[in-house]
Amino acid sequence: MRAEDIIPQAPAQARGRRWRHARDVLLVLTARDLKAQYKRSSLGFGWALAGPLLQLFIFATIFHRALGAQIPHYAAYVYIGVLVWSWFQGSLAQGVGLITGNPSLVRQPGFPLSLLPHVSVSVRFIHFAIALPLLFGLLWSLGLRPSRAWLALPLLVGIQYLLAVGLAYPLASLNVLHRDTQHILTVLLQLLMFASPIFYSPSSMPEAFRAWYQWNPMACLMDAWRMVLLNGRWPDFAALGILLLMALVLMLVGRRVFIVQSHRFVEEM
Amino acid sequence: MNEHRIIAEAVSKRYLHRRKGGVRAWGANPKRVSPWALSEVSFTVGPGEMLGVVGANGAGKSTLLRLLGGVGRPSKGRVATHGRVGALLDLGGGFLGDLSGRENAMLAGVVAGLLRQEMRERMDEIIAFAELEDFVDEPVRTYSTGMMMRLAFSVAVHTDPEILLVDEFLSVGDLAFQAKCHARIKAMRERGCAIVMVSHGMDEVRRSCDRALWLKHGKVAAFGGAEVVAGLYETEMREETLRRTPSKGPLRATGGIALIPRENRFGSFEMEIEAVALLPGDRIRSGGAFAVKLDYHARQLVRNPAFVVSITREDGSVCLDTNTQLGRVEVSDCLGKGSIRFEIDRLDLGAGLYFVDVGVFEAEWRHAYDYHWHVYPFTVDGATEHKGLLAPPVRWQAEA
Repeated sequence: MRAEDIIPQAPAQARGRRWRHARDVLLVLTARDLKAQYKRSSLGFGWALAGPLLQLFIFATIFHRALGAQIPHYAAYVYIGVLVWSWFQGSLAQGVGLITGNPSLVRQPGFPLSLLPHVSVSVRFIHFAIALPLLFGLLWSLGLRPSRAWLALPLLVGIQYLLAVGLAYPLASLNVLHRDTQHILTVLLQLLMFASPIFYSPSSMPEAFRAWYQWNPMACLMDAWRMVLLNGRWPDFAALGILLLMALVLMLVGRRVFIVQSHRFVEEM
Repeated sequence: MNEHRIIAEAVSKRYLHRRKGGVRAWGANPKRVSPWALSEVSFTVGPGEMLGVVGANGAGKSTLLRLLGGVGRPSKGRVATHGRVGALLDLGGGFLGDLSGRENAMLAGVVAGLLRQEMRERMDEIIAFAELEDFVDEPVRTYSTGMMMRLAFSVAVHTDPEILLVDEFLSVGDLAFQAKCHARIKAMRERGCAIVMVSHGMDEVRRSCDRALWLKHGKVAAFGGAEVVAGLYETEMREETLRRTPSKGPLRATGGIALIPRENRFGSFEMEIEAVALLPGDRIRSGGAFAVKLDYHARQLVRNPAFVVSITREDGSVCLDTNTQLGRVEVSDCLGKGSIRFEIDRLDLGAGLYFVDVGVFEAEWRHAYDYHWHVYPFTVDGATEHKGLLAPPVRWQAEA
């Protein structure tokens, strides 16, 4: 086989190949991370389901009894919050160590490093997607049936994906220079978790925090998911639109800065 | 097709080191300038050419390979590459122990720039080349280092790069596999792949490379034909070794050859052989008596050392090799000066030039105190009636 057969000379073809290669890198690396996580356990990929299942059980029984009085469909309410949060939190926690954790990829000539944040967000998305059927089952058992508003769900997924990728870019590059980033992030994520309406309802927040609440993108996303799934109504598109715009800008700028910085990664490691 | 695959123009690289020490360093200017890792390095590599890069550790070889691979940018100058770059830098470094050989190969191939489809098409070929048919579905953590490197090498050469950057790869696997690697490299070059190889083996450089670049403290010390540059480098290495030897000046041996530590003299020198006398002299008649007298000086108490005397030919082949332990001679503890004498009643050697090698070793042969190799030459005369190593008294007798 000649090299010329593999590397097409025409620019259009080259671009097409680059996209296909990007897709393949994403697939292969995502599969690598998932396999690496579960390969040696006897239950294997089943563990990805076991965690959410246990959570579901706890929310539906213990939490429901302890806290369920104030909020309708409390088990589903909490479960939505937990799933949305875990995806976000996992993506960033994994994304911050992308460069520092993959030295062999950083040293590979011509490897498109800018794909790496997509890998960590995708890996966590797959965990999220595995748990979704459980959520739908729970909704069904509570008597909540799919409505037309469910069509908005892919948009919610897309916004969160872009947001996480957009945040992973600066975090990963910052962590190369300052390893403190990953520890600071852990603390910040914990803070954000308590600031997000996962277990409680926003209406139970003290008045002083309300003004800040709307600036929390995770709160906005959780509200939207619950509006769709629990109330069967369309989410607040104005808020989502702003969020989408922010996520897009964050991702494009983050990616640009990441690429400009990337030639320095290997010497700073 | 471009005339050159790689063009390096006055490439210089300086790393910016950040002060370590965390939070306190913030605010202060964190950048400290370090010396040039590479300075004004220029060369080109054409299609099918192979360039060897030699130099001591820290001379900038790895930095150069990285820059050629587009990993990092030169501080000054320009690197241009035409064609897809493949690399054999840390063989198997990106492998994941829990994944199978096949999965890791797929991963490495896609990371190196191939599509999954392309990798699937050549997977069988890759596995066959690595000779891993029976193990390819086992997890890589069960592989030996050799198997892992074979797989990594196989993937890298099957991605059909147009430029290949290599860091000391040719020690992969056994001799048969190495021969296969060489053949594969040759085939790649014939198809126009340019290769840059970092190597410490000058024989390797001579054998494989067209040209060589010698880096010294980041600067080009020599650039030219592989044979010439490898020769220059070796000469310099020898001189460097001499410079580092103990400051004690070379001792003049009785035979007139200088004793040079690490070249013809080895040992820890707690006990030294100060003089060696060949008796009756350094020209003896074949069949005559021969003796070697060693004068030693033990600077500290040395328990039961073993003395060695051997006679070797110029080419290193050994005619006689014996020592006090083989001779069942009790050598008492040594302190201060003394001497020992080794006698041969008849030296029935053929005519020619020989060396007496002498040494004194630790009682359990753990190391040499002092060993002189090919320092004391002597000539055997006579014995013209036959050839060969031995010249004992002989006669022919016809029997009816």
